[in-house]
Amino acid sequence: MTTDIKTTPLNRWHRSQGANMADFGGYDMPLWYSSVKDEHLAVLNGAGVFDTSHMAAVTVAGSGAADLLQYCFTNDLDACMGPAKKPLSQGRCVYGAFLDENGHTIDDAIVFFVEADSYMVVVNAGMGGVIAEHLQRNLGRRDATVNDLSDRLGKMDIQGPVAAKILGGVLADPKAVFAGMPYFSFKGHVDPTSPLADAVRLDDGTPILLSRTGYTGEFGFEMFLAQDKIQRLWERLLENGSAYDIKPCGLAARDSLRAGAVLPLSHQDIGHWPFINHPWPFALPFTTDQTGFTKDFIGRAALEEQTDVSFTQAFAGKDLRKISAGEGSRVIDADGQTIGTVLTCATDMGIGRHDGDIFSVASPNKPEGFKARGLCCGFVKVNRKLSVGQHVDIADNRRKITVAIVDDVRPHRTARKPMADMI
Amino acid sequence: MKAISELNLPEDVRYTDDHEWAKKIGDVVRMGISDYAQDQLGDIVFVELPEVGSSFDKGEEFGTVESVKAVSELYMPIGGEVTAINDALADAPELVNSDPYDGGWMMEIKASDPAELEALKSKADYLDILKG
Repeated sequence: MTTDIKTTPLNRWHRSQGANMADFGGYDMPLWYSSVKDEHLAVLNGAGVFDTSHMAAVTVAGSGAADLLQYCFTNDLDACMGPAKKPLSQGRCVYGAFLDENGHTIDDAIVFFVEADSYMVVVNAGMGGVIAEHLQRNLGRRDATVNDLSDRLGKMDIQGPVAAKILGGVLADPKAVFAGMPYFSFKGHVDPTSPLADAVRLDDGTPILLSRTGYTGEFGFEMFLAQDKIQRLWERLLENGSAYDIKPCGLAARDSLRAGAVLPLSHQDIGHWPFINHPWPFALPFTTDQTGFTKDFIGRAALEEQTDVSFTQAFAGKDLRKISAGEGSRVIDADGQTIGTVLTCATDMGIGRHDGDIFSVASPNKPEGFKARGLCCGFVKVNRKLSVGQHVDIADNRRKITVAIVDDVRPHRTARKPMADMI
Repeated sequence: MKAISELNLPEDVRYTDDHEWAKKIGDVVRMGISDYAQDQLGDIVFVELPEVGSSFDKGEEFGTVESVKAVSELYMPIGGEVTAINDALADAPELVNSDPYDGGWMMEIKASDPAELEALKSKADYLDILKG
């Protein structure tokens, strides 16, 4: 029997390190190397590197590119930056989703404003073709060229409070690169012939697109570069980071880190239901009073006239014990009524409760002798809006645990820290 | 992930198809999960065990082992009454990863039918299952 599972440029490296591998989105990816817990903690205390070449990039270029994205993407590119809702500017990127006419999520994405009339859209594993086709189908009379770069671009992430210190050691001009680089901004280009490529080069001359984003809730970067340059960068960062106890991290740590950071997993926490009433309202083009939308986009009408109303909300448990999420899971209210299902239930191993409050290993105010035993957390989808602090039970066919509805889980995350504090 | 040749599979314990092990120590039978099982599960963060004095049949679920990613059932290799559980796992569940046959044992039982232990798999037979 032959299988058509895809591999990333680092596949051989993962296997040579004895990583526990699994199929994720059609790619043979590492779940963990030796310890998920150590990998998770490395990103909170120091740094970790992640192979993310399974993710897909789609470019959209031309005089109609911005308008096409305005119509297909949920966030308003003319009003998405900061509390003042300024237009997306060159070198900035923004989170949102692509919806169908029913308002259901096709995939979530980050849109990068590369230069005038040129955007890069980064989506999840295996979704490059789907999103490229979706954009193509909705092109209309707009002048735009959509190009699916799936499996043609290398990508890896470095995440954790010392990420810039480690990365700086392999950049040609770290000072210039890190100057003026807020959260959700990026510099550089993957194409060596682009004038933008000079903004970020490795010390061997390789151009990279460096983005101050990530999927862990911690300070760090996503890096796009030529596939044949990935392994060298990966190994150099590991070598450079050994003094900081850097760790290669698999998808399991990525999942537990993002759950604690209240970030959704596409096709699990967002999916075939309306993309609204969830913890990510910043991904929708809400007016300042939150009563309407600032632009037209595919799925808008369905979101405005929902028939099947559900609410996605974050929860945190009392301790690390969890249940099996997904099919067969239930959310039960105080009256014993089943009111929904559990979308994600994971253990954030870097946090724990002390007298009811949640602390992280990185919390400056953690109680003396605090030991993070881990905390169960995730998302429920329920048929009524629950209030923060409210307790519900979540259950699978084996176990029932009581959890609290929360608006945040892991405290003292570093993703938004000023760059000056991190270099 | 360990290669099959790297697995620690002692000769002096018996194995089940569900990757538990059992070993006679004096007049009780001690049990836990195999090196293969702990390697597949990854970091174990919680082990839920029954009360001393409870009884289970062979193949019955007696507890759960929880990794960062998932909760997995534990099944009785043989039937009997629980005479002791490994209290050390409450504070150090990672012993199941680091030392699955000694420090990471889970519980001891008084076997209801000693013949059930003999019927479990030898190392060689267990290896055959792992090799598929």
